[in-house]
Amino acid sequence: MKGFFPLAILRSAALLVPRELRAEWLAEWTGELWHVHEPAATAFCWGAYKDAFWLRRNCSAAEERHSRLEAPAHCLLLLAVLAASGWLGALLVPDVRTALAHTKITESLKGFLSVMGFAWGIVAITSRLSLGEYPVTANSPWRLIRLRRWLFLVAKVVLLLALIYIAAFGLMAFAPRMDRAVGLLLNLLVWTSALAFRWVLRDQQRRCPVCLRLLADPVRVGRSSGYFLEWNCTELVCFRGHGLLYVPECRTSWFHEQRWFYLKP
Amino acid sequence: MAIELRLSHTAAVILQAIDAGQGYGLHVMELTGLPSGTVYPAMRRLERDGLIRSQWEKQSAADAEQRPPRKYYKLTRAGKSTLDRSHKRYPLLAKMIPPAEVES
Repeated sequence: MKGFFPLAILRSAALLVPRELRAEWLAEWTGELWHVHEPAATAFCWGAYKDAFWLRRNCSAAEERHSRLEAPAHCLLLLAVLAASGWLGALLVPDVRTALAHTKITESLKGFLSVMGFAWGIVAITSRLSLGEYPVTANSPWRLIRLRRWLFLVAKVVLLLALIYIAAFGLMAFAPRMDRAVGLLLNLLVWTSALAFRWVLRDQQRRCPVCLRLLADPVRVGRSSGYFLEWNCTELVCFRGHGLLYVPECRTSWFHEQRWFYLKP
Repeated sequence: MAIELRLSHTAAVILQAIDAGQGYGLHVMELTGLPSGTVYPAMRRLERDGLIRSQWEKQSAADAEQRPPRKYYKLTRAGKSTLDRSHKRYPLLAKMIPPAEVES
């Protein structure tokens, strides 16, 4: 029988597992723990949290949402539908229609783009802007296919800007009626845009550069304690077999950006 | 048309270890050198994708050795063919789990 601490770790991790799978999950881990030597038991049990998190994530609607956005066309379509419905909805409101008619587009665009620049600055400070290293090798696809990845990024940004622009316009049309609300709305606009840009970057970083589908099956390789002797990263794979992505857990001089490896077609 | 399932290198190593070893999580960890937090979620994914299937050992077998029963994993037919394809993709895979380990 193992000590109290490893079993306590397993029991607390079990709370994360969906109820219908919990008993079997706990039986498997305790069955394995019985064979683990005492000094390694605690380290063994910490892994139960990752397993439990995986089960929780993959037995919920999260996986469905993920698969809906997996294909690049679906992702663009969703953004296009959101932008189009935003514009249609806004044009149905008389105040917004009037505001649009009385606004000089070039001036409002200037103001909008400067706010977006500010939001982009926040993203640059708080997250990695680099999309990673994609070395050109014998297995790399044609330049045109590589270019498609950038076009996809531009399309996402344009659709998102269209959506944010009309949302901002709608909010600002109501602002004069609300006392001292402009500052609050501006803040809301900047932070929402920063979050949206962050999502665009993150989404782009997690896509295959060839087929543009979201990468799957993240597997953690290595341990934080062995950083100087072994890899410590997350490995993702393209289901179509175009390559593997390695995302470092923390940046080092030899591995500071996520790195893509093309596989033989 | 069903899409042919491709494995990451780590997932292929784990599949190889399940095929070569005794088919339980701890032995896969020993063969691959990967921590439990990597091996168990990877095995769940492989099972979800139909490449392996799990089975509890008989309670009587565990009782005879006065220990809790264990869950064993085996490759399915789809898993075998995926592993064969992975050998072509990752040629060093078979060398990473040496035959001596297979027999132990």
